Amino acid sequence: MKLFSITALTTAVLLGTSVSALALERGGVMTYGRYTDSLFLDPVLNDANVDIWILTNIYDTLIAPSKDGLSLEPSLATEWKLNDAGDEVTLKLREGVKFSDGTPMTADDVVWSLTRAANPDNGIWNSLDASIDKVTAPDAGTIVIKLKYPDPTILSALSVFNTAIMPKAAFEAMPGATDKEKAEAFAQKPIGTGAFMLDSWERGASMKLVKNPNYWAMGEDGKPLPYLDGVTFEIIPDDATRILKLQSGDIQGAEFIPFARVAELKADDKLNMELFPSTKVNDIIVNVRPMIGDRENPLSDEKVRQAMNYAVNKDAIVQVVTYGVGTPLTSFMATTTPMHSGTAPLFAYDLDKAKALMAESKYPNGFTTSILTLAGNQDELATATALQQMWAAIGITLEIKQVDNASRTDQYRAGTFDMRAGAWTNDISDASQITSYFAYSPTIDALHSGWKSAEVDGLFVDSQKEMDPAKRAEQFARIQDIFNATGPTIPLYETPYPVALAKSVNGFYQIPLGNNVFREAWMAK
Amino acid sequence: MPLASFILRRLLQLIPTLIFILIVVFVLVRLLPGDPTSAILGDRALDADVERINRQLGLDRSLVVQFGVFVQSVFTGDLGRSISLKVPVTELIAQRLPITMLLTGMAALIALVLAVPLAFWAALYRGRAADTAIRGAFQVGLSMPVFYIGLILLTVFGAKLGWFPVGGYGDGFIDHLHHLFLPALTLALSLSAIIMRNLRSAIIGVVDAEYVQFARAKGISARLILLRHVLRNALISTVALFGLSIGTLLGGAVITETVFAVPGAGRLMVDSIYGRDYPVVQGLTIALAVLVSVTFLLTDLFQAWLDPRVAR
Repeated sequence: MKLFSITALTTAVLLGTSVSALALERGGVMTYGRYTDSLFLDPVLNDANVDIWILTNIYDTLIAPSKDGLSLEPSLATEWKLNDAGDEVTLKLREGVKFSDGTPMTADDVVWSLTRAANPDNGIWNSLDASIDKVTAPDAGTIVIKLKYPDPTILSALSVFNTAIMPKAAFEAMPGATDKEKAEAFAQKPIGTGAFMLDSWERGASMKLVKNPNYWAMGEDGKPLPYLDGVTFEIIPDDATRILKLQSGDIQGAEFIPFARVAELKADDKLNMELFPSTKVNDIIVNVRPMIGDRENPLSDEKVRQAMNYAVNKDAIVQVVTYGVGTPLTSFMATTTPMHSGTAPLFAYDLDKAKALMAESKYPNGFTTSILTLAGNQDELATATALQQMWAAIGITLEIKQVDNASRTDQYRAGTFDMRAGAWTNDISDASQITSYFAYSPTIDALHSGWKSAEVDGLFVDSQKEMDPAKRAEQFARIQDIFNATGPTIPLYETPYPVALAKSVNGFYQIPLGNNVFREAWMAK
Repeated sequence: MPLASFILRRLLQLIPTLIFILIVVFVLVRLLPGDPTSAILGDRALDADVERINRQLGLDRSLVVQFGVFVQSVFTGDLGRSISLKVPVTELIAQRLPITMLLTGMAALIALVLAVPLAFWAALYRGRAADTAIRGAFQVGLSMPVFYIGLILLTVFGAKLGWFPVGGYGDGFIDHLHHLFLPALTLALSLSAIIMRNLRSAIIGVVDAEYVQFARAKGISARLILLRHVLRNALISTVALFGLSIGTLLGGAVITETVFAVPGAGRLMVDSIYGRDYPVVQGLTIALAVLVSVTFLLTDLFQAWLDPRVAR
């Protein structure tokens, strides 16, 4: 089935190219159905994907992640250079960039925006910019970022949404005493340099973006982007209703199509069922502490974990849960993450090996353990039910505990869970973010599992200073080898972003980090 | 002035009720595992961030202090700011609650239009084919899950026939009514089934009563008997049931609002509970409590008009 998905992806890509070869048409408003609304449109202080994945249409960063998520492209900066020591970045600003209100973007705005993003008091993303010491503008077109220490991730960090450039004067003119209060006022009517600007927002119902008349990037026809006059987001929480509205022509795009309906929508000749490659990985996080409370924890036995891994038929789970849309993981990070390594699916299903490993473990007669799944989440429940059956074959009894998200987070952070379903998407096109949470124990105890490898911790610290990409890739390869073989997860599968679009829609895409990019989208009439 | 004193008495009763609700909702949302900070930061929360956000939200203060702040804000008419949406709670309630009220009102109206005439028909032709058919049809309406009825209505009358929009809320009052018709009908189906059954048996009880037979013997027209004697008396218990059901509808419109993508208060409430958005949950509960109390008061007043004994 892996082959099938790849073929499907290739077909989608090919279709995409052949369609955009048609003469593009300008104008029109595209309506896009979202499963839930955004919360807070501030690049620095937001804390959710529902904000991030939309923000990038209103704000630009100095550098942009490429469409495939693997490299960097010019955006508000046209060129950049990281010095050989790796502790100073010099960027040339694009000339003539204006904010959506018509005021020119200045070096002062850039200095202020980056300083605000890196301020440890602001939001939860500033750790990505922890190396920034001082941002200065030696002249109107140049920005120099002095770093506290060499940082190989700094350029990727400058492509992350939180370093978006905002107008200093307009922000500071907002009512409020603190940065947070000003941000809350500013986010009601944000001003950025992005392709679109916020026109109106009825919370929970719809958000209307209109074309930024001052946008700097040029389209294929030699005129400024975007092609669309506007994008309207309609909030349609129910999957079936969202699809129905797309099929009835009320909306032209719908996000998060349930995997169960992907095949059906692929066959619908009025729609393009897109599967955009993502950085999303799904796994089971395993608590490996020897004791959980006053209870002995069999999951701390490495042999047990290996047995459990071999006993899981990933292909079957990919079929049952993702209807063949996903692909088994080849590392704990997705194949779309730079410096991902590994080619073969991890722990290919081998029940005999699993049984042998169990027999060698401290628990040859099996044991009872539990898994936390999100109440109401059918995918997690289906996964847990499949695991229940698969692990029964090696003598493990699995209790499924359905809880709500806040309860699960509580037990997770306290380290009192046995296992839980886990999912992850990257926010930065670099391997460091996922590695820091998954494998580097000082961040959050390796996914709050209690797992710790001194070698991995050491390699990770080195990788954060290593300026030679080849050496850095080697370090990450070694980290992945260790984590994949002995780590605290049951790796399952990676999945693309399933988005269904009306046939008339061209040029829309979602990058692996999740950003919905509307600036090159256009609709055939 | 028995009526005025009745209303006054009922309004005074509202005060302890609201104080009770204030305390209960404050305690209940905090009894849930997890807190706004863990809901905001999610699985990736770092300890330093948790501490900082707790401080920013005032969650590091003692519960007594937090309750003091809450009560003070309620009495100044300011319900605080939403933690996740960063806007005043009063603004959110003003946006979302009227939508749910309109939806509930329409549902109640449709339920009455469906239930009352059919209840009469079924009662007057009791035991015959019409009665069985009407009761059977309502039974089906009552027993089908709301989201299923909703999806069927959406598919048939929205997507296939195009008579109604496929979900959403629209722009402008007429458009709102158009958008809300199918969700209101969905809600009305189960409500009308309950009303119809109750009213039918009440009518049967009244029709057989001696005073109706007496009126008939006096030669009063059947129409007048139905309106003045039968309907008025049969309605007493149905009105009470109807009032109670409106309360349930107000709080229970969540599923309908989700299926039909109606941005009402029900969805706001569920999202806020999941997000542990304490100020919104508290504010919305108070607003709903007032609304339900007012509905009950109106129900009682109507009942008092039907049956003056109620007001005594």
